[in-house]
Amino acid sequence: MNYMPGTASLIQDIDKKHLVLLRDGRTLIGYLRSIDQFANLVLHQTVERIHVGKKYGDIPRGIFVVRGENVVLLGEIDLEKESDTPLQQVSIEEILEEQRVEQQAKQESEKLKMQALKERGLSVPRADTLDEY
Amino acid sequence: QSLEDCPLDEDEDAFQGLGEEDEDIDQFNDDTFGAGAVDDDWQEAHERLAELEDKPVANREQDGPGGEDSDLLGEPEDTLAERLTRLVIDSELEDPAIMQAVQTKVPTQQPGGLNSSIWDSSAVLRRIRGPLLTQEMPSVSVLDYALPQRPPQSREEERDPSERALPRRSSSPVIGSPPVRAVPIGTPPKQAAAPNFNQQILCPKPVHIRATMPQRYPAPYGERMSPNQLCNVPNSSLLGHPFPHSVSPVLTHLQRAQLLGGAQLCSLPCQAGRMSPSQFARVSGLVGSPLPSVNPKLLQGRVGQMMSPASGFRAFFGAPPAPSQPQHPPGPASHLQSLRPQPQMFRPDTTHLHPQHRRLLHQRQQQSRNQHRSLNGSVGDRGGHRSSQQERKDPYANLMLQREKDWVSKIQMMQLQSTDPYLDDYYYQNYFQKLEKLAAAQEVHGDGPKKERTKLITPQVAKLEHTYKPVQFEGSLGKLTVSSVNNPRKMIDAVVTSRSEDDETKEKQVRDKRRQTLVTIEKTYSLLLDVEDYERRYLLSLEGERPALMGERKQKICDMYDNLRGKAPGQDRPSDDHFMQIMCIRKGKRLVARILPFLSPEQAADVLMATARNLPFLIKKDAQDEVLPCLLRPFSHVLYHLPLGTVTSLVQQLTNLPQSATASAPTNLHLTAVLQNKFGLSLLYLVLSRGEELQSLDANTELMQDNQWTELMLMATRELLRIPQAALAKPVSTPSNLISLFSRYVDQQKLNLLETKL
Repeated sequence: MNYMPGTASLIQDIDKKHLVLLRDGRTLIGYLRSIDQFANLVLHQTVERIHVGKKYGDIPRGIFVVRGENVVLLGEIDLEKESDTPLQQVSIEEILEEQRVEQQAKQESEKLKMQALKERGLSVPRADTLDEY
Repeated sequence: QSLEDCPLDEDEDAFQGLGEEDEDIDQFNDDTFGAGAVDDDWQEAHERLAELEDKPVANREQDGPGGEDSDLLGEPEDTLAERLTRLVIDSELEDPAIMQAVQTKVPTQQPGGLNSSIWDSSAVLRRIRGPLLTQEMPSVSVLDYALPQRPPQSREEERDPSERALPRRSSSPVIGSPPVRAVPIGTPPKQAAAPNFNQQILCPKPVHIRATMPQRYPAPYGERMSPNQLCNVPNSSLLGHPFPHSVSPVLTHLQRAQLLGGAQLCSLPCQAGRMSPSQFARVSGLVGSPLPSVNPKLLQGRVGQMMSPASGFRAFFGAPPAPSQPQHPPGPASHLQSLRPQPQMFRPDTTHLHPQHRRLLHQRQQQSRNQHRSLNGSVGDRGGHRSSQQERKDPYANLMLQREKDWVSKIQMMQLQSTDPYLDDYYYQNYFQKLEKLAAAQEVHGDGPKKERTKLITPQVAKLEHTYKPVQFEGSLGKLTVSSVNNPRKMIDAVVTSRSEDDETKEKQVRDKRRQTLVTIEKTYSLLLDVEDYERRYLLSLEGERPALMGERKQKICDMYDNLRGKAPGQDRPSDDHFMQIMCIRKGKRLVARILPFLSPEQAADVLMATARNLPFLIKKDAQDEVLPCLLRPFSHVLYHLPLGTVTSLVQQLTNLPQSATASAPTNLHLTAVLQNKFGLSLLYLVLSRGEELQSLDANTELMQDNQWTELMLMATRELLRIPQAALAKPVSTPSNLISLFSRYVDQQKLNLLETKL
């Protein structure tokens, strides 16, 4: 039964595997079990997937209850196509290490940039009111 | 002698002294300590007390607000609710966010009840609503929140105060917030109206009808209703289709029977659909005599869905009943056969539904039956074997119950409720109209099987006019108004002060002028949107209203034109200044393009002339925006209706060629600018082409005009020849009859030259 054709409704997506991108940049993958009018989600057998370059690692998290306002986007995962991906799965420790390295590199480059700008007397507007990513 | 001076010792004298002083003091309080207290005569005492009793009563009768002290507890029969209602002065309470008000019969009632904590007790508030709902309230909007059948509902509410005593969920009614019933809060209620939810399983919301005309739904509900209320309304169109009333009581009976006879039914042997007559008799006996039409099929079909937790029954009832029926012995067969047609009675009336809808419903029924058969609760939309297999392995499926899904979708539907979808949801409505037109067009061509696209019908609610008057309370000092959602309190008094002209600098003046132009553009735009909408309104309106609508439309068009050209006091519009200001702004040009179709020919010609006159200026200003070409199409439409005389003068304006041909004409900057601009050149071509048309069509034109035209043409062609090809802009379109036009005025050699240039 087609719930509310022509509109966006999550009712059709229940009990299906989804990928959810949150506002803080996390990627969650889990079975969507329940929703409400604010698009608060209940994810079951959730896995947090960390991507660094061509590698990714999954951290099992269990049940997630996500407040609707924190969701950027979500999409259904096609279970058949899920496995053919060019990305390589690695262990949790490895991916966390990779992530740390990446963060460090980013911070250093950011620092250099700020310094260069300061030397030239310019300033970058602070993205305080914007989201982090 | 003051008390302080007397020493506190136990001397009798001292005591006597004190007593004397007491007596002194006692003189002041005659009633309490004076003659009355000392008096031993009980009769006199009694009489005195009786006097005391009578005094306040007399006071109250004479002056109402005076005897407040004695009447604090007053009339015990007077309920708190009634007293409270008398407090409120304003009877015409339109604000639904504030508690109810009633016209006072005896306005002189003291507000003694204020002392009690009326604001805290929710029970009191509920009680207030009780007596009020029974009264006739003509224009109060709180009742608009109530369910459609207002009078019977209020009776029920009266009878069931206990249900109302506790708020539904954790929200307590607060003054100034909308009543609880009107707002869906939190999760769906635990004690759902079960029979109505059963209806939902079979006829899901929202309505899916492939309607070509937007249908107007009557407003059976008030403006806001909670999904719970929508569930409770039995004949709500939102439910899909109304069940015959006979069904719901049957179901409740069945439910009750199920609960009662649960244990007994369990004991029936689990045969594959077979029911022996004795069993059947028992079942019917359980359900009770008032339901002779109890159908085992009904039990199997419905009950299985209702009592899903009772999985024990499902195995029994889920089996297909059809094959079992003919196998019964002939004895009770007649009894059974008499019941065979019963399924038809209990099947809902779907004849009025769209065939697609009906099919979907029956599919759904089948699906749900299949589900129960396989002891699997998943809603398998994709009918694939693979998906059903996977869902079978998923033990966590359907954690969200069907009714919860319906509840969420109902909230979403509620959000789409609107009084005027064209206003609230313009783009959605337009988009789907376009899609339908496309689909209709495709069908006309006979493109294979129709793709039946289900369309969502958004519920339409009739607009209820509310004027919210703030509530006032009697006995309060000054005007206390309760500010609520509907009439918010005025926080800041913002006063606009206009500055004097002297102080402004030139820059500011320029800025203000530009701002004024922008404001004019915006105002004209809203007029334009209204005018464009009149066609639709015309179709929807009644016969009597139509002349008025037309009048309004005409007036608005006149206003638009005035806005465009500036309201010049003189007869002639001496200055194009106002118009030029508008045309300098990109939005202004677009506005003119949209307005042109609505203007009368004279007005449109006027606009055209003004544009042509000032074209170089406009071209210069448009260098960045390049929006002028958007005016070409409406201009060409206008040109189509213009007579030759106008066209001639138009060409003159465009080319700025003097009437008399002078030999040494200075370089015509005007014409050069026009020719070098895409819009200008295209416009010129259009005008020339139109002129040519008119010439060729009309055999006997006036001689004067002819002369003018010929002269102009000669000059125009001379200029065209003069200008190098590179400088010529690329026109949007080159009309075909230009060659024939020029052939009249120039010889073959020059004609070839012109041809290459064009």
